[in-house]
Amino acid sequence: MRIPPRGRAKFPLALFALAVLSSCTASSPPEIPRSTAPPEYGGRFVFPLRTEPATLNFVTASDQPSDLVARLVGDSLVDRDVDLNVVPRLAASWEFADGGRTLTFHLRPGVRFHDGHPLTSADVKYTYERVIDKTSHALARLDGFLPVERVETPDERTVRVVYRFPYAPALSGWEMPILPRHLYEGEDFLTSRYNRAPIGSGPFRFISWEPGRRILLAANLDYWAGRPYLDTLDLEIIPSQETTLQALLAGEVDYAALTPVQWEAHSKDPSFLRRFATVQYLSLFFYYIAWRTDGTNPFFTDPDVRRAMTLALDREGYVRTVLRGFGQVPDSIFHPAILPPDPELRPLGYDPRAAAALLDRAGWRLDPGSGLRRKDGTAFRFTLLIYGGAEEHVQYSGRNYAGFHDPQIDAWLQDGRRTVDPVARTVLYRSIARRLDDLQPYTYLFFPATRAALSRRIADIRPSPRGIIVQYPGVTRLRLSRPEGG
Amino acid sequence: MIAFLARRALSTVPTLVGITILTFAILNLLPTDPIQVWSGGGSYSAEAAEHLRSELRLEQGVAARYASWGFALLRGDLGRSLRDGRTVASVIAGALPWSLLLNLCSVLLIYGVSVPFGLFGASSPGSVADRLGHLILLLLYAVPSFAAALILQQWFAVRLGWLPLHGVSAQGASSVERAWDLARHLALPTACLALSGWAIVARYSRAAFRSLLNREFLAVARAKGLSRLRAYGHVTANAAVPFVTLLATILPGLVGGSVIVEQVFSLPGVGRLYLTSVEARDYPVVLGLTLLSAVLVLAGQLLVDVLYLIVDPRIREGLLGDRGDVH
Repeated sequence: MRIPPRGRAKFPLALFALAVLSSCTASSPPEIPRSTAPPEYGGRFVFPLRTEPATLNFVTASDQPSDLVARLVGDSLVDRDVDLNVVPRLAASWEFADGGRTLTFHLRPGVRFHDGHPLTSADVKYTYERVIDKTSHALARLDGFLPVERVETPDERTVRVVYRFPYAPALSGWEMPILPRHLYEGEDFLTSRYNRAPIGSGPFRFISWEPGRRILLAANLDYWAGRPYLDTLDLEIIPSQETTLQALLAGEVDYAALTPVQWEAHSKDPSFLRRFATVQYLSLFFYYIAWRTDGTNPFFTDPDVRRAMTLALDREGYVRTVLRGFGQVPDSIFHPAILPPDPELRPLGYDPRAAAALLDRAGWRLDPGSGLRRKDGTAFRFTLLIYGGAEEHVQYSGRNYAGFHDPQIDAWLQDGRRTVDPVARTVLYRSIARRLDDLQPYTYLFFPATRAALSRRIADIRPSPRGIIVQYPGVTRLRLSRPEGG
Repeated sequence: MIAFLARRALSTVPTLVGITILTFAILNLLPTDPIQVWSGGGSYSAEAAEHLRSELRLEQGVAARYASWGFALLRGDLGRSLRDGRTVASVIAGALPWSLLLNLCSVLLIYGVSVPFGLFGASSPGSVADRLGHLILLLLYAVPSFAAALILQQWFAVRLGWLPLHGVSAQGASSVERAWDLARHLALPTACLALSGWAIVARYSRAAFRSLLNREFLAVARAKGLSRLRAYGHVTANAAVPFVTLLATILPGLVGGSVIVEQVFSLPGVGRLYLTSVEARDYPVVLGLTLLSAVLVLAGQLLVDVLYLIVDPRIREGLLGDRGDVH
């Protein structure tokens, strides 16, 4: 069996889970914490990017590095903190009305783009319109906006979003940075010069992009929440993980995600640990096998056969040996940071004998001659497709690769989407996770883990499941313990 | 001569067309859907996907798409990158100078070291220095370039701190300082590319020089009182033909080899662009790059033909039949 080697083949189940659970978190968010100690401003933080952003247009970006830069240069209505709670950015507050169908945002006063132009509700509406405009190629942002009926701007600081039905995950879509309407209007949206030299209202202003080399950002001194402590944020494009580690050792970058081999070589070395701190986090997405349950094959319509497949896979062993511990077998379809682990749900262990017994019971008997299992003359033999953006992964609705359909789960999902009470939602989603565990349409493989080393000159940073940069206020409040220069 | 070159250039056109058809076919056989890549894993409306499909003409046949790509190419239009919306020409133009610079430097380094080395080996065959030098070059040849790159980085950038670890830049107050900065950045990747070339070219030149040094004309020339240096000058001219052949085989190899080196040393060249574009299913850029490298390989062969004509009067006579033109 082959497993996609890198995070490129990202499976969105957990992201979906993040979206559906977003309103579990409090909607009267805390103020951004301000340090009482005298702040130390200045310095340069160098963060490596494995791949170059495709574009710096805030809404057409579908790759991670583009999104990362967009979140620093641009500003969104809401964002998520280190623990994935929804926190305010441009929207000082918001409220749901009409049973969850209407969401009203109240923008902060006096916010300006980096060119000095005021940011108003018209910019928010414009950004929404660009996402739903099919000529914009903004497929990756479309997810949260498909249920939107209309966006209204009663005044310059109020944005009212009307959904076609009560939509509990509504806030997630508004993690999208707001485009400057006055600059994009009159330009070709896809080839505009602002796609490579963006102007936003975020904590950092764009300085330069040397293709294939680096993107330089500098503190926005007029940021509404106060200027970032850092003077500059230097995003160095370093494709090789080996080179990234060497650059960390040479003091050229402040952060390096480590490979399992690098981690084993350095994470226990005292001289390395004197210079660098180590962090680790579980990514939000996980890898899985989706069994085609729609009758297109004679095997996987039977839940017992699917359960046998899961039992026959040594997932813990895979994580331990192949991944060298860089991962975790999922208990449920929900990331532990999103839905607290369910004590009654344990991952199925590796049990080939139980798997064989289940297959025997389902009528798939071992044919000693060929070594294959057969039933009514059909051999138990199938092709496993590996995700690579391929058309063969026939889409049903959304990302239902398994063609899985269960009226009970559908009903719970409908309820969950409309249920605003966090406790009731947790109960609903636990029921979904348990039923999926019973029916096994998916064999969950693992959440990949990231382990990284970072320079000791960085004080107080904790990774979120989306990394050390993609969190708010995150890098905005990042301080260097020994600022360089003046 | 002009007529010969024109004939030769024209004969490469079918090859070029064949290469583009093949590339186009392979890219379209891949079971991938750019729309899935673009959506980044989220849901999208069927309407939006439909619109993109028609923009990309995915519903048209492969042949129709190839024809429209070909016609646009005849107008000098390579299309636009699917990844970032820039023109393919400008994307490639941004990466090409770095790869050309790197490859040119490494060819110079390879020949600059190997040819004198081969000559030395040929003039004192079997000596300890000859054997030892050869062993060293063979060992260097055996080191895979990704490993060599790491070792070079570890020694010269991290431990000794003499050279930059990765990346390119040309900064400084004066043009001399800028050139020096650029040279420092190119030193390690150039050396890394040259390591595996040295052994081949040195071996080749040693053999070529050796067969020539044994020739009687050299003995006659020396007997007539020609200095050793002047005599070697004649040898070098005679040995040029095999070297030119070698150049033709080494040039495409250097382009291919720079994928790894560009990756490890974070150089924004053609090799890295190729990799990124394939991963992003950026068909127009992949096609443009394939076309470019096909043109370069064919142009390299043409160049070699021309060099033959220049360095070797015998070939010139044979091909052109213009005996009167010689000397």
